[in-house]
Amino acid sequence: MSAIALDPPVSKHGTPGRRALVRTWTIGKLTVFYGILIGVGAIFMVPYILALFGSLKPESQLLTVPPWDPPTHPAWANYPDTWSNFSQVQTDFAQYFLNTAIVTVCLTIGQVFFSMLAAYAFARLKFPGREGLFWIYLMTLMVPNIVTIIPLYTVMDKLHLVNTYWAVFLPYALGTPYTIFLMRQFFRGIPQEVVDAARIDGCGDLGVLRRIIVPLSRPVLITAALIAFVFSWNNFLWPLVITNTQSHYLLTVALANFNTGPGTGEYLNIALTGSLITLIPMVIVFIVFNRYIIRSIQLTSGK
Amino acid sequence: MALATASADAPSAAQAAKSNGGRPQRAARGFVALAKASPFIAPSFIGLIAFLIVPVIFVFILSFLNWSGAGPFSWAGVQNWVSIFKYDGAGHSLGVTAYYVLLNIPAQTVLALGLAVMLNRKRRGMAFFRVLYVAPYLSTPVAMGVIWFWVFEPQLGAIAHFLNIFGIAGPNWLNSSSWAMPVIAAVNIWQYLGFNMLFFFAGLQGIPRSLYEAAEIDGASKWRQFWRISLPLLNPTMLFVLVTDVIGSFQVFDTLYVLTGGTGGPGDSTKVMSLNIYDVGFQGTRYGEAAALSVLLFSVILIFSAGQFLFFRNRTTYEYSV
Repeated sequence: MSAIALDPPVSKHGTPGRRALVRTWTIGKLTVFYGILIGVGAIFMVPYILALFGSLKPESQLLTVPPWDPPTHPAWANYPDTWSNFSQVQTDFAQYFLNTAIVTVCLTIGQVFFSMLAAYAFARLKFPGREGLFWIYLMTLMVPNIVTIIPLYTVMDKLHLVNTYWAVFLPYALGTPYTIFLMRQFFRGIPQEVVDAARIDGCGDLGVLRRIIVPLSRPVLITAALIAFVFSWNNFLWPLVITNTQSHYLLTVALANFNTGPGTGEYLNIALTGSLITLIPMVIVFIVFNRYIIRSIQLTSGK
Repeated sequence: MALATASADAPSAAQAAKSNGGRPQRAARGFVALAKASPFIAPSFIGLIAFLIVPVIFVFILSFLNWSGAGPFSWAGVQNWVSIFKYDGAGHSLGVTAYYVLLNIPAQTVLALGLAVMLNRKRRGMAFFRVLYVAPYLSTPVAMGVIWFWVFEPQLGAIAHFLNIFGIAGPNWLNSSSWAMPVIAAVNIWQYLGFNMLFFFAGLQGIPRSLYEAAEIDGASKWRQFWRISLPLLNPTMLFVLVTDVIGSFQVFDTLYVLTGGTGGPGDSTKVMSLNIYDVGFQGTRYGEAAALSVLLFSVILIFSAGQFLFFRNRTTYEYSV
């Protein structure tokens, strides 16, 4: 903030001495500017680095040396220990990882596919009641997640789906109003002439969707897939309430249970390694797709 | 367009025209259009009904019923509503939630806006910082909660070690009823700051440069330009960010659950509404009371959202042309 308020105290055309002063001022301003940005960046990165160091230390070292000391003899064993059962404490992150992956893949495919179908109908088909129906979809955006947790549990109980993979992803896998809205905006921007041409060539609705809309909408489809993937991988409250046996736990649920289960500092190496294992797919998504993530945020605000 | 739809609809429309005329024909065409659209709409519509609309209606009904998670429902009347205030600390939870929102929102918004203003200029490395700051937003909140739990640990944590260098004995952080909530708010700000920054950044990018150039010619300082141009024109962005953040903050759960070991402690100093709903419902298996708490939270969120909406609508919005 301070950087914008400051201005060179002298005019641009001055004596050589003054010009030097201006240069010093500019350099000082830039130093403060980048200093703040780098400082904020450091605060953002420190927990990851500490956790990485921590995951490579044996438990005894975690309790003694400062967290910022790099591991002297990397304790790689933490990773296989966390991944599958080791003698002292029950860990089965392989199972949790698999559960999370299954649920996330189903949720992502379902959400993108069914949202796409609905968005196509709202954007490209004419049918009576279209606007009213779309308005109902938008209205449901105002319902906070937490409000539906209790009744949703009741619904799943009546459907005999409690403690199944189905229950974890089904509520989000038939399309979400938000994603439908996002895709509809994009589909409406596709020129009608292209669609007409396909129709003359004998394409039905499915043909138009498959041959025209999907290939032309890759950015919004990737964005939607990312939103679904990140949501599902990070989701916690719903999996926490709907799963109740270890064999169905997702990573987040297992991690939270592990952290609250053993006493403070006990098996800290395992807790930190488990956290990093959970974060790995997000790190990959972040590195590969950061362009799309920033884009998705700008899409959201542009409505 | 006309040609394409005519050919697609032709057989059915012709059939309809044979027996009927005028209005019935239009109704038949509408029916055909609906029939053609329904396979596309049906999955999401079923999902919407089963997993959103039915639950929202049912939560109101359930708040007047007794249900223990198994067996039949029984009528409770207003009993649930009385007991959430009497025994389940609904009032306290609302206060704690409001305190969290108050700690979270102003700091978060000001910092996000400040960072966006800093990054909204043509200097080297701006794109890099923008990407860097979004990293926490993607990171699993539960995993980051486990890491921050350790960072704030009063004996082993990095912060305690750091303060030790200067001979300072820090507070007990998450074990202290006065520090726990600020720490939780700080961790959440850390998580969502970059995300909010991007909204403000996108908003700033949408303001035409010519406005600043004109102000420059009139001799307005950068500070003045920010207050008189950037901030008023960011009104829509501000509304969006505040409404979504306030709604999100009222529902805070993941980070808080992990940082307090699922207790909302110490004592019940951080027992926010969502944690109370979870506790009463899934730990206490008193789903009727939990539903009443949910309805209460829903009402509060709706009132706050409507309030913000009215506040921003009544402020002048500026039109500009480039």
